[in-house]
Amino acid sequence: MNILETIVVKSSRAFDMLAGLILAGTALLVVANIIGRTLLGYSILGTYEMVGFFTASAVGLSLARCAVENGHIAIEFIVEKFKPRVQRLIEIALSIPSMVFLGFASYNLFAYGLRIAHTGEVSPTTQMIFYPYIYLVAFGFLLLSLVVLMQFLKKVCGGDQQ
Amino acid sequence: MSPTAAGLTGIIIFFVLIVFRMPIAYVMALVGFAGFAYLTNLQAAFALVSKDLFSTFSSYSLSVIPMFIWMGFLAFHAGIGTRLYNLAYKMVGHLPGGLAIATQATCALFGAVCGSNTATAATIGAIALPEMRKYNYSPALSTASVAAGGALGVLIPPSVIFIVYGISAEQSVGKLFLAGIVPGLLLMLLYMAVVYILARRNPAIGPAGEKFSWRERLAALGGGLFEVLVIFAISLGGLFAGWFSPTEAGAVGVAGVMLVTLVQGKLNLEIIRKSLTDTTRTTAMIMLLVAAAIIFGRFIAVSRIPFTMAGTVADLAIPPFLVMALILLIYLVLGCFIDALALILLTIPIFLPVAVTVLGYDPIWFGVITVMVVAMGVITPPVGMNVYIIKGVARDIPLEVIFSGIWPFLFAIIVCLAILIAFPGLVTFLPSLLH
Repeated sequence: MNILETIVVKSSRAFDMLAGLILAGTALLVVANIIGRTLLGYSILGTYEMVGFFTASAVGLSLARCAVENGHIAIEFIVEKFKPRVQRLIEIALSIPSMVFLGFASYNLFAYGLRIAHTGEVSPTTQMIFYPYIYLVAFGFLLLSLVVLMQFLKKVCGGDQQ
Repeated sequence: MSPTAAGLTGIIIFFVLIVFRMPIAYVMALVGFAGFAYLTNLQAAFALVSKDLFSTFSSYSLSVIPMFIWMGFLAFHAGIGTRLYNLAYKMVGHLPGGLAIATQATCALFGAVCGSNTATAATIGAIALPEMRKYNYSPALSTASVAAGGALGVLIPPSVIFIVYGISAEQSVGKLFLAGIVPGLLLMLLYMAVVYILARRNPAIGPAGEKFSWRERLAALGGGLFEVLVIFAISLGGLFAGWFSPTEAGAVGVAGVMLVTLVQGKLNLEIIRKSLTDTTRTTAMIMLLVAAAIIFGRFIAVSRIPFTMAGTVADLAIPPFLVMALILLIYLVLGCFIDALALILLTIPIFLPVAVTVLGYDPIWFGVITVMVVAMGVITPPVGMNVYIIKGVARDIPLEVIFSGIWPFLFAIIVCLAILIAFPGLVTFLPSLLH
């Protein structure tokens, strides 16, 4: 359990940092394109597409860290009024569909990326391959489902303690 | 089961699951997927999830969200709020309730570089509350004024909620930003009037602060106001002038905040790192919510609920304003329990066709009014996100005390709403200038 927690938490932090760098790079690309277009009369070809793909990668890689820090919005005030044991049972019960759905979303995204890779589909403007970005998002969902698994195991092993 | 009955069942399951603390984004995606699979087929639902998730995350129009969020967090960590408060404090701090009045002006100014109500409340709360405590302001007035003032960040552009509404309702983000300016300023003035009246009636709750000479006041002008004007002009000015797309305006805003703070010697790697960490976390939360809402929206569309509802409303023999009042009442009640962003994403596919197609209301006006009603939820019990944030800043003040001070500010929002409903031109005039 501790090993899983360490791996999941550390890797979610590392990928979140990578997501931050990607976002910074995206902003830099957009500004460079504006400067090029305005001052030099030269636009960076494919900026529109790259901004989309980079944003997707950054979002995918930061999903897990957000979940580790309980950043995904939930309504807490009703369940908080229940006894700790009831709260724990509810969380365990509802973690299962979340975990299954997120794992399944990750699997489907990998399958979708594989399909795009096999058909050789590329982006319309720059003819760039984009299936690696789909794999990154799929990986992000896999990590997110592992975070939910970790939280599930913690609740199962944690007795009545919150 | 008919498609509409399946849709209604899905909505009931949605509410049951979110009440039991399941993250709203997970619930929307899960119920949306299951409902879509039930009404079409499993194969179509499989394809829907993977395609919608990737196309939402990689949408250029949604890439505006991390840009404006980063801009706001950079401003937050670079201490722009402190300099703005110093300016407002020197201008009006000597009036009865002057520090709380200065707080409203600071929230509005900070809202011009930050699109988040929670970041605005946290920033200004950390700066203004110690000052108000020093001058013996009543805890209820001081905390409630910051919590309510934070909601100004929702209306004054850039606003993340307006971006999400714009994308969900397929409306121009630039027009929505322009539409929020007058309501935001009007609400700020109403908040100021509320504080002034309360402090005049009972001077003990908001004693006047120190009075500064005009020389000192003019000197303070060069600080915070200059920064905000420069950043606002190059970022949103370019958007309104049609030079930039919203994403470009956000990226230019980020560059603007960095440039201004770099010139002042206040930018360092730690500020960039902290702002990026906050940005990725907030962006992940919002983007997952948007993608999940799109999946849920597909289910609602195939359930034909929006069409059924629009048809039912069209057949009703009651005036449009009563239907609108009913819609706003639903938003008001749900806003007390559900986060503003999630509520907008959840309900716009259902209510927008009714408000715009059937009742004939302007979609920009509807967006501003809806966002304002939903924003009331950030200061009302039991969820009241801004109130919890202020509680985090002023840990010794009980939640009940903060909520007890909120009522006059809620009254100000209702007055503001009434004015905007009576005079819709206040909302639609500025966007009409944008071509």
